[in-house]
This record gives sequence, C-alpha cells and structure tokens, in this order.
Amino acid sequence: MSMAAVVRRGLPFLGLWLVLAGPDPSGLAFGLPAAALAAGMSLRLLPASGRAPRLRPALRLGAAVLQASVGAGIDIARRALDPRRGVRPGVVAVPLGMPPGPARDGFRLLASLQPGTLPCGLDGAGRLLVHALDTGLPVAAEMHAAEALFAAAAGQAVRHG
Amino acid sequence: MSAVLAFLGLLAVAAGAGFFVAGTAGVIRFPDTPSRLHALTKADNLGLGLVVLGLLPFVPGWFFALKLLLVWALVLLSGATAAQLIAERVRGPEPPA
Repeated sequence: MSMAAVVRRGLPFLGLWLVLAGPDPSGLAFGLPAAALAAGMSLRLLPASGRAPRLRPALRLGAAVLQASVGAGIDIARRALDPRRGVRPGVVAVPLGMPPGPARDGFRLLASLQPGTLPCGLDGAGRLLVHALDTGLPVAAEMHAAEALFAAAAGQAVRHG
Repeated sequence: MSAVLAFLGLLAVAAGAGFFVAGTAGVIRFPDTPSRLHALTKADNLGLGLVVLGLLPFVPGWFFALKLLLVWALVLLSGATAAQLIAERVRGPEPPA
C-alpha cells in the first residue's frame, strides 16, 4: 500500500482522535500511531478504490439523507402514536442497479434511514430485500431514487437490466 | 449566549425527547420485530439529532460541539448497521419472485 494512500486514509482517523481525546500535543504521541495503525487496518479491509466521492452530488446526498431522516422520524412517530394509522409491514424485493461492493454496502446503510424502509438481506436473484413499514407505499421507486443519488455521490454508474 | 438561542436549544431537546417517547411507543405497539426496529432506529436517530442540536448552544467551545456531533454520527452508523443485521436474522419468508 502506498504512503499517499495511508496518509489519505489516516487523516480522518487522526481527526477522529483529535475530537475524542482533545488537541493536547502530548496526546499525539499516542494519537499518531493509533491513526496510522487504523489506516493500515482500514486499507487492508477496504482497499483504496481510486474513486473519490464527488463534492456536489455528495452534498446533495447529505441534504437528502437529512431530509429523509426527519421525514422517517416523523412518519414513525405518527404511526406509533396514532392508532388509526398503524403499519402494513411486509418484505419487498428491489432489484439493485449498483454492482456488489463497498459503495452498495454504503447505500444499504443509508437506505435504512429512509422513511419506512429497512434493508434485510439479498434474495437468490441478488435483489435487495427491504422490510417496508407500509407495503402500500411505492417502496421500489423510493429506493431507486435514493440509489441514484448515492451512486452519483460515489461516482458510480447505475444500471437497471 | 443569547436567551433566544438557549430557548431554541431547550425546545429542540424537548422535541428530541418526544421522538424517543414515540419510538418507544412504536417498539411496544408495532406487530413484528422488523417494524419495531424501524421505530427504534428512525425515531431515535431524529430524537438524538434534535437533542444534540439543542445542546449545541450550551457547549463551552467548538471542540465539544464536534464531539457531540461525532456521538450522533457514531450512533447513526452503529444503529443502522445493527438494525440491518438483526432484520436479516429475523426475516420471514421471501416474497414470490
């Protein structure tokens, strides 16, 4: 693994250390090696892809995630507190356009913050199984919109066969 | 710190606590385990976010603010991951192809 890759992966870890432990210079004697070790381990588990996230789509994605989180929280609160609403839970299979890999795993992570959806594995055909709180909602369409936003931010192409 | 900011902060913390209560109600009332996971992760994510937001006007420096935001981010990450792992374990039969 190249030095540049270690530095690029290690800087966020160093930032994490600084936030957790404080900016005390004497603490850096531990923080720097810890960040370097974390970077090495991280690169071994998830090699550098060479694809940098793109800023503008990433910001758009961030705004969408924030908006979805608020919508999801309000949606849950209403369903939980209003007895006339309630839930119609079920599992929906959604075909994915992104190839398997870290970017798709990242999308899965964010997808569970969308209102009413919780990914719960893949089926035999490689489709994402999504547990939906209300199967009457357009679950697949919403997942595809979120996937497109995520793929744009990750610099990936989405292909629906 | 201005009184207006402090008031807004307290308002946000109270709203956050409200979402925790709603999430708990969902855990009790929803019929199946995955639905309860929805309630846990989504209501608490927003609830904690509002609590963190509401505490920001009271922190003694930007460093503490970053720490609070980091706590939120870590809870978000671990909550979303754990919820999917549990959901995968308890998932019912697959829908017809």
